[in-house]
Amino acid sequence: MDGNDKIDLIIDKYDGKPGSVIQALLEIQREHRWLPREVLLKVSEKLDVPMSRIQHIVTFYKAFSLAPKGRHEVHVCMGTACHVRGGARVLDAVENKTGIKPGQTDAELKFSLKTVNCLGCCALGPVMEIDGKTHGKMAPAKAEEVLKNYE
Amino acid sequence: MTKINSQAELEEYRKNLRSKTDPNKRWVSLCSGSACNASSSAEVATAIENELEKHGLSGSVGFKRTGCHGFCEKGPIVDIHPEKICYFNVAATDVPEIISETIKENRLIDRLLYTDPATGEKIAHESDIPFYKHQGRIVFSSNSKVDPKNIDDYLAVGGYSALAKALCEMKPQQVIDTVKEAGLRGRGGAGFPTGRKWEFARNNPGDTKYVIVNADEGDPGAYMDRSLLEGNPHAVLEGLLIGAYAIGAHQGYIYVRQEYPLAVENVNIAIKQAEEAGFIGKNILGSGFGFTVEVAQGAGAFVCGEETALLRSLEGKPGEPKARPPFPAESGLWGMPTNINNVETWVNVPMIINNGANFFAAIGTDGSKGTKIFSLVGKVNNTGLVEVPMGITLKDIIYKVGGGVPKGKKFKAVQTGGPSGGCIPTEHLGRGVDFDELAKVGAIMGSGGMIVMDEDTCMVDMARYFLAFLTEESCGKCVPCREGIRQMLKILTNITQGKGKMSDIDRLERLAKTTASASLCALGKTAPSPVLSTLRYFRHEYEEHIKKHHCRAGVCKKLVKSPCQNACPAGVDVPRYVRAIGAGKFGEAVAVIREKIPFPAVCGYVCVHYCESKCRRGELEEAIAIRELKRFAADHDDGSWKQNFKATPATGKKVAIVGSGPAGLTAAYYAAKLGHDTTVFEALPKTGGMMRVGIPSYRLPDEILDREIKDIEDIGVKIKTNSPVESLDELFAQGFNAIFVGVGAHRGTSMGMEGETTPGIVDGIDLLREVNLGKEVKVGGKVLVVGGGNVAIDAARTARRLGASEVTIVYRRTRSEMPASEEEIEEALEEGIEIVYLATPTKAKKMDGKVKVKFIRMELGDVDTSGRRTPVPIEDSEFVKEYDLVVKAIGQESLVPDKFGLVVERGGRIKVDSDTLATPRDGVFAGGDVVIGPASVIEAIALGREAAIAMDKYLGGEGKIDEVLAPPEGEPAAFNLEEAEGEKHRPLVDMLPIDERVKGYAQVVLGWDIERAKMETLRCLRCDLEKH
Repeated sequence: MDGNDKIDLIIDKYDGKPGSVIQALLEIQREHRWLPREVLLKVSEKLDVPMSRIQHIVTFYKAFSLAPKGRHEVHVCMGTACHVRGGARVLDAVENKTGIKPGQTDAELKFSLKTVNCLGCCALGPVMEIDGKTHGKMAPAKAEEVLKNYE
Repeated sequence: MTKINSQAELEEYRKNLRSKTDPNKRWVSLCSGSACNASSSAEVATAIENELEKHGLSGSVGFKRTGCHGFCEKGPIVDIHPEKICYFNVAATDVPEIISETIKENRLIDRLLYTDPATGEKIAHESDIPFYKHQGRIVFSSNSKVDPKNIDDYLAVGGYSALAKALCEMKPQQVIDTVKEAGLRGRGGAGFPTGRKWEFARNNPGDTKYVIVNADEGDPGAYMDRSLLEGNPHAVLEGLLIGAYAIGAHQGYIYVRQEYPLAVENVNIAIKQAEEAGFIGKNILGSGFGFTVEVAQGAGAFVCGEETALLRSLEGKPGEPKARPPFPAESGLWGMPTNINNVETWVNVPMIINNGANFFAAIGTDGSKGTKIFSLVGKVNNTGLVEVPMGITLKDIIYKVGGGVPKGKKFKAVQTGGPSGGCIPTEHLGRGVDFDELAKVGAIMGSGGMIVMDEDTCMVDMARYFLAFLTEESCGKCVPCREGIRQMLKILTNITQGKGKMSDIDRLERLAKTTASASLCALGKTAPSPVLSTLRYFRHEYEEHIKKHHCRAGVCKKLVKSPCQNACPAGVDVPRYVRAIGAGKFGEAVAVIREKIPFPAVCGYVCVHYCESKCRRGELEEAIAIRELKRFAADHDDGSWKQNFKATPATGKKVAIVGSGPAGLTAAYYAAKLGHDTTVFEALPKTGGMMRVGIPSYRLPDEILDREIKDIEDIGVKIKTNSPVESLDELFAQGFNAIFVGVGAHRGTSMGMEGETTPGIVDGIDLLREVNLGKEVKVGGKVLVVGGGNVAIDAARTARRLGASEVTIVYRRTRSEMPASEEEIEEALEEGIEIVYLATPTKAKKMDGKVKVKFIRMELGDVDTSGRRTPVPIEDSEFVKEYDLVVKAIGQESLVPDKFGLVVERGGRIKVDSDTLATPRDGVFAGGDVVIGPASVIEAIALGREAAIAMDKYLGGEGKIDEVLAPPEGEPAAFNLEEAEGEKHRPLVDMLPIDERVKGYAQVVLGWDIERAKMETLRCLRCDLEKH
């Protein structure tokens, strides 16, 4: 079963439930990692939600990505506790190492960088999450070391 | 899981479960909350399972992966029951030992136990560990006993008994009345009385009603709800079910942030198990009441924590808040009566139903009943989730539970309430935490985020941080929020980049008012709070950023070249002179230092080196020995700086400097450099102020001081010793146009002790002055020195050299609180001086030629408004000792003659304008210890510079004292990574052999050779070259 079929299955699950458009998009995002325009059109049609509202939703909520993602999603926590413990300097180091700024994906589609607001692991701050794995007690040099391990 | 159809069946099932559990059976609980997972608790779990299997203990020793224990700093956490032994920071490799030693042999593993940071004592049991001991857990307590993925665990601890009671024994209105009587208020931040809110929803007309769990916990730094939902999801469900019954709702939603995948997973498992058991579905427990619940995820929008925005999101729309009234209780989800409560609020409900309203109302304060869970994070030793009764003071939370601020840093403020909240400084730490108390000082309790900040946090940057967050999260619907926050952010960003103006503060305040009053929802309404709160308590930081382009915390990148230079009161370019030393250019290094201060050698010998406390290398093994390097350079100076020294042509103005201490001489140096005819008047026979008569010559040799003072005279400064100034009018009459008063603080403060004027009790400062002026001072036998600062140490070490056989220093606090520098304390101990901590003299009497002193022992009590623990006398702990001489060194005051006509405040200090150092008297300026109290040489020098600038401007000049004395630095040599990497400590400094030291006043610290100095420079990380 290829990606497209999987997406269709997800959309079918929410067929006829316009109120669950956000949940449907979230599930598609989790599966496909980004939302191409064709997919949005399909969702609009099947769930009977106007495209204008879908556009509004995918640009309003930060979980949605309208551009392809890199192989590895790097999230640097900018929550208050991490900030107070030097999270901004960790972000600088990550930006340097990956060559991209938050919200961007590099040209080789290796890394996508995003800042997030509080992963809830404040005791381990500063925190960086890569592909869902949490890396705690980060420092600029340590962050660069961690990134080296990703192909 | 079999379906349970009635209250009786439930109790039967529970009885069976409990009978199968042996309370004395050994079992192990491993915290599996998200933070511990992030610390690889999954690996520990596998290791535990394997080890138990290996030893054949899988049947006899239980193992549970439980919800969050709260002490997140120390995860992964393994508890051994029934003893409740707590092991912290457990790695998978520790597990074999835990099983073989503790489980099998009942032996404790010391390295895994909690260590008290103050005493070093190991504590094994949870109830003795301060972090847990000072809490009051009733909501959070089950987390460590329950495997969130197993409903039986929840049932075993009494779960769903409240639901059964409510459904089978109570009417809906009774449930509401109970919750009202208990006084439960919403835990999401607003604190609305829960029972009343339920009643509204119950009474509003509508066929379909909804109940919702708001788990869109968005405040950065707060994660209490996540731990509750992950760790004990059934408790949330039970509360929700009870509320639904009370209101008459049959459909519920749990709205969880999608950033909490473990919470989503565990609550879904819990729902499934609850459905299987019959707690969710039709005819629950035979009561006739039916209920279903669904989980919906947030999509990354902070504003969806606001209830009307949450409802829109549930309806599949963008999360834009709606005006209230109508409130959701009247018209909520799909227009139907809806009750939304926070996770923690829901979890409190079963406990209230089970134990009754009075049980709950007995905890907390009048207006705020029950407990509150806080996430205590940031610059605090014990980071984690804490549950405490309402009304506990902030002080107790931060110091008793939290263990205070790490690394000996100074507490600055605690931020509560997230982006809607405010910061609370030391002076209000005694306030109780509840819904109403914190609001009185400009903050709110909020949902529970409590972020501790220290001296390295910039409050202006914090305000900017919150506004940046809110700018992103504002839904954009209403202008005051969307535009107001954005404009405030722009202003704050400018301030942090050194582009701010004083009028910006007014503009910020006006914008804040408008945004707060005109915004539609709480996001906009409370957005100005962090700004207003930081302005209220830390206005001086804003002003420093604006007027002086200085960020004292060293955070604002555009204002800080390197942390060391930023911390130096005079702004010496440390990295540059360190590089020069590394390149063998010692004269150039001195020239760089002299661009900011006229005392490179003095500072190299005795500076208190604030720079070293902020050195980034210090975050690794050890700070760079910045002061030692400065001394090395000064000792190897070639005087090349003189070639670049440029004096301004004479201005025809005359400047008088009263006092030849570091402040006076620095002001004199710059005044003369700017072309003014400058004369220094010194009352004593020798120049130098405290540098001469305060600091002993074994620390700062006379020749070194003389040499630097001569350099000042060489540029044209006239110095008159033995010339006390009686009145300033006289000086003006002599034709001086401006006067700088730098008379210092050299009268010892009184101890307020009975018998203080007894002969045989002298002042430390007086003793040091006599010795340093070359007078004959007879000291012998036993000497007591009272105090803990550098003066006490200097007096003690001088007493040793004068022939005392035994010298004891007594200090009322502990070593870590002693203001004296570490090096001084070490050297004193090496010279055989005894230091007695936690004691203070109360009475003295002369008897038989000796001074008899009565002491009382002290213990450290509560934290005071300076953030230090106050010493408190221990009853009946007095003891008496005899001495030949007692030296007081507990502080100094200034003595400014009345005839000077200046305004003098507490401690004899002269009142000045903080920007110009001008006194209210025209043409008179002041600086140094006489203005700021006994401080340090470098601070006096910095004030001398400021005063010179102000005086020059007063006299018609531009106040440009900056000079270029070093040749321009070319491209700095490439960073030698190999040399800088790896663990390296400072090279050892040559010292005079210990038995030689007290024989006289020879220099004790001998310094480095060239090899060691250059080696040290390689450790420098060159923070000034970092790209901004």
